[in-house]
Amino acid sequence: MKNTINQAFHSPKFVFGFVIFAIMLCLAILVPAFSKADPLAMQAAACYRPGTYFSIADAIEAKKYNLKMDIKSHRFDKTLTQEDKDSMVEWLVKFGNVEESEIPADAEEFVVFWINNYKDIKIKGLTNAKKQYYRKLTAKLSAMLKTSDIVIAGEDPDTGELIEENKIEFNSFTNVNDVTVRKTFLLGTDNFGRDEFIELCHAVGTSLKMGLLAGTIATIIGLILGLLSGYLGGIVDDIIVFITNLFTVIPSFVLIILISFSVDQSARGVLLVGIIIGATSWTWTTRSVRSQVISLRNRDHVNMSKLSGHSLIRIVFEDILPYIASYVVMAFILQISSAILAEAQLSMLGLGPATTKVATLGLMMNWAMSAQTPLAGQWWAFLPVIVSIALVAFSLNLMNTGLDQVFNPQLRD
Amino acid sequence: MKMRKMLSILLALAMVIGCLAACGKKAEETPAPAPEKQTEQQPETKDETPAPEPAADETPAPAAEDTTPGSTPRNETLYFNGQQWGAINAWNPIHSNANNFGISQNSSAREILYETLFMYNLLDGKLYPLLGTKYSWNDDKSELTVELNQAAHWDDGTPVTAADVVGTYEFNHTYSPSFPGGWDPYITGVEAKDDYTVVIKMAQTNGVTNNPLQGLQYIAQQYVMCKAYLDKVVERNGGDQAKVQDDLMEDFVASGPYKKYYNDDQKVIFVRDDNYWGADASMWGSLPVPKYLGHNLFADNAAGNLAFSNGEVDVSQQFNIDIPQMMETNPNISAFIDEAPYNMCVTMPTAWLKLDVPGLDQKAVRQAIAYAVDYDQIVSAAMGGQCPTFTAVPRSVMNPTDGEQALIDKEALKPYQFAGNDIDRANKVLDEAGILDTDGDGYRELNGTKIHLQAACPTGWSDWEASMEIVAAAGKKIGIEIETYYPEASTYMSDMLTTGQFEICMWSPSGASPTCPWGRVRALMSSEFAGITSNNWSGNFGWFRNDRADELIQAIPTMEDSQLKAAYTELSQIYLDEVPSFSLMYRPELFHNTNESVWSGFPALGDGDNIPPTDCTDGYGIAALYNLYLVQ
Repeated sequence: MKNTINQAFHSPKFVFGFVIFAIMLCLAILVPAFSKADPLAMQAAACYRPGTYFSIADAIEAKKYNLKMDIKSHRFDKTLTQEDKDSMVEWLVKFGNVEESEIPADAEEFVVFWINNYKDIKIKGLTNAKKQYYRKLTAKLSAMLKTSDIVIAGEDPDTGELIEENKIEFNSFTNVNDVTVRKTFLLGTDNFGRDEFIELCHAVGTSLKMGLLAGTIATIIGLILGLLSGYLGGIVDDIIVFITNLFTVIPSFVLIILISFSVDQSARGVLLVGIIIGATSWTWTTRSVRSQVISLRNRDHVNMSKLSGHSLIRIVFEDILPYIASYVVMAFILQISSAILAEAQLSMLGLGPATTKVATLGLMMNWAMSAQTPLAGQWWAFLPVIVSIALVAFSLNLMNTGLDQVFNPQLRD
Repeated sequence: MKMRKMLSILLALAMVIGCLAACGKKAEETPAPAPEKQTEQQPETKDETPAPEPAADETPAPAAEDTTPGSTPRNETLYFNGQQWGAINAWNPIHSNANNFGISQNSSAREILYETLFMYNLLDGKLYPLLGTKYSWNDDKSELTVELNQAAHWDDGTPVTAADVVGTYEFNHTYSPSFPGGWDPYITGVEAKDDYTVVIKMAQTNGVTNNPLQGLQYIAQQYVMCKAYLDKVVERNGGDQAKVQDDLMEDFVASGPYKKYYNDDQKVIFVRDDNYWGADASMWGSLPVPKYLGHNLFADNAAGNLAFSNGEVDVSQQFNIDIPQMMETNPNISAFIDEAPYNMCVTMPTAWLKLDVPGLDQKAVRQAIAYAVDYDQIVSAAMGGQCPTFTAVPRSVMNPTDGEQALIDKEALKPYQFAGNDIDRANKVLDEAGILDTDGDGYRELNGTKIHLQAACPTGWSDWEASMEIVAAAGKKIGIEIETYYPEASTYMSDMLTTGQFEICMWSPSGASPTCPWGRVRALMSSEFAGITSNNWSGNFGWFRNDRADELIQAIPTMEDSQLKAAYTELSQIYLDEVPSFSLMYRPELFHNTNESVWSGFPALGDGDNIPPTDCTDGYGIAALYNLYLVQ
């Protein structure tokens, strides 16, 4: 046993797969363990991009610093694009009765010139979208020109009068660390405003749990039926092969959909979905175990056991199982991987566990799609999920091929 | 060796699948929930009958360089989305499932093919003349007299006369199964006074007209059809009611500015009738600008939204959560209003509670759920911020328009209103009612059984689904188990909503019409709809019964204007206190977003034209078609 494990860890493929798997597993275990946050708590109002968010109200109260920095020109450089400039010039020449030569070149003068000349009037030949663009641009530019202090006022609850509470100088700064109320979303938030990173870690954990459960169930059923069928032969073999064939021709995913659909959503938890997937995906384990057992059952040592009067169970478990154990382990790994994918597919169709109860990779994909996040370019809502599914499945498959090389001498380099 | 071969095959397969997945990025971008058909509030049965092929003589002569059937020059065609899903079934306005983008008899009726007497404008709530030039009431409002425009004629050239208006009423009354039930309580008949004057007789009880508003509703909603043609239809079907109703009317005669041109399971094209009567100076004075109206049939919302962002659609009537972002980044896209809520929110998608379900029969449970739901989250996460919050417009039975908000006493409603996400108040209500979690499983029990509710909405209506999830999340916070359920839209409508077989479900009461807000209050609370077990499209889906509410609903149509405020305020109090249902958000009845890469001149709020954002097709919104111009 120790030797086999040693050997396995000498296979670079296995090690690579194992490392990826271990990282995913650690994330799935450690993050929920250390962060007590509810992964389903809707913390933000909508799908926000990754980053650190700090309270503006808090920033107003935070310690002020004075930096020697030309804020105004910095703003102009950052916000006024060439495209904006071109369209402003276009408007001025077309509708503002301005000669192109009159327009000043200096950015600030140009903006002042624009604000003096731009009028929000009804113009035939200017689309609503353009009008709206100019309105917004003008509002933005006039805000940029301002260098006066900003007064923060509060409303008197009785009279409704505004009372000055705070004044912020035009050029005051604050150190980000001085703002105490902050929240970092490593991977942004999903369409419900839930912390994507925390949710993802929980979802990977859920998927692994479900995969492990489904894989175990599928492997146990497949192994028992395969062993019985291969070793006993005769009528038992016929019956088991018949049932196996029956399940093989019906696509298991269709079965999964039908069974899930017939179960009430409230009952469709992680456990049940795992059982459903496991109970429908054992067929190819049975078939391959059976064929392996058939090749083993007439070996000399098995016949010796038979002659010695050993019981069926003892023969199967002591004389046959050890020979196919390595194969079963590999099949088990693949079962886990395909069960994880099956859950993702099932949840994408809305037939997985309930959204409000548990986070799963498939549900996250489902909501990312129905909220049109790809169309809006909100990559953080779906890309990390796809990568996670891919990494888990990829690492399991790598481990499988690595083991294959160890156990199968023909494959060794 | 074999294994290695297998492995290489597997790897090759994996690569192919990987490539496909990468190419499938587009599929990713166009998620495939079933389309959001929220505004088409009619029973939708997926009829597989293929669309009738256009008659040979009507097959268009395609542009010289393009031989695709039905193709029209882009710069003469105004394209829509969100108005037609699946092929057209019929051209008959009384057909049970015409599924025709040109036909919609709502308060803002679609005026493309057929026309009504008047056009409703939801911006000012007034009726504008179309086939009728003016209307007047007699003293006791028992007769509504309408004068017809003498310039109006059918597309076969014969004039539109009073006989047609009378003939249409009689045709509808005899052959449309739902017509008598809907109108008989309010209208007893239509008579011709002379060739161009008709009188609509209103139903009265004890000498008082039941509801004069329904007379206005009638002239804004019901199409006027050609009597000579209707006679022909009746004759060819032998006067059989079912056959007349199923007649496809492919050879229909109408008075509208557009005619049938081309339709199949890919697209629908209408062509302008250059002989349209409305070009007369007494009506529009010109023809509508686009020669063709086109509607490609998209697979789902996402496909339609993608086409819209690419400029293949000019006017979009689909919910599009990305509109705010598109307006920032796409220089051609605009909405009716520059900033949130972008459109005129006149309706309130509502969570209806079935009042005889264990748990929901308890006022405390209903109140607790309503208090706990995070409505701000619904507005931001499900609606993309495209509607006012309940903090901005506190809840009542009114929609957020100024006209309706003026009809309630806001101060008097304050103690009853709730802005949502108030878990403490919800828990307190439940605790006081003695509905507690006695077995420690995190869920409360009523009489020893766990309260378990199911919240449903049609599958693929993504923003509604998200709203129901937020309702379910609220349930979890207050210890009431709510599971979500998303059946197919047709199943949902026929088996759950309209039969009362649900626990919590989502639907919108009527938004803007001549009868609102009375029509909405009636839909929300009137017990006349309680107990209907089939085809209840009228409202009160949860079977709420309250004597005082019934009394007020009955009295409002004949009330003096000065009494209205008190009545509506009291109704709002009952509604907010008893919680027979609760609004989840405000929402436009129609979305009206435009991509101006080809056409411009669409209505915008405050542009002085007073044209409502009804997609250039509905009610007075059709006036927009006369203002359009090509950008290039």
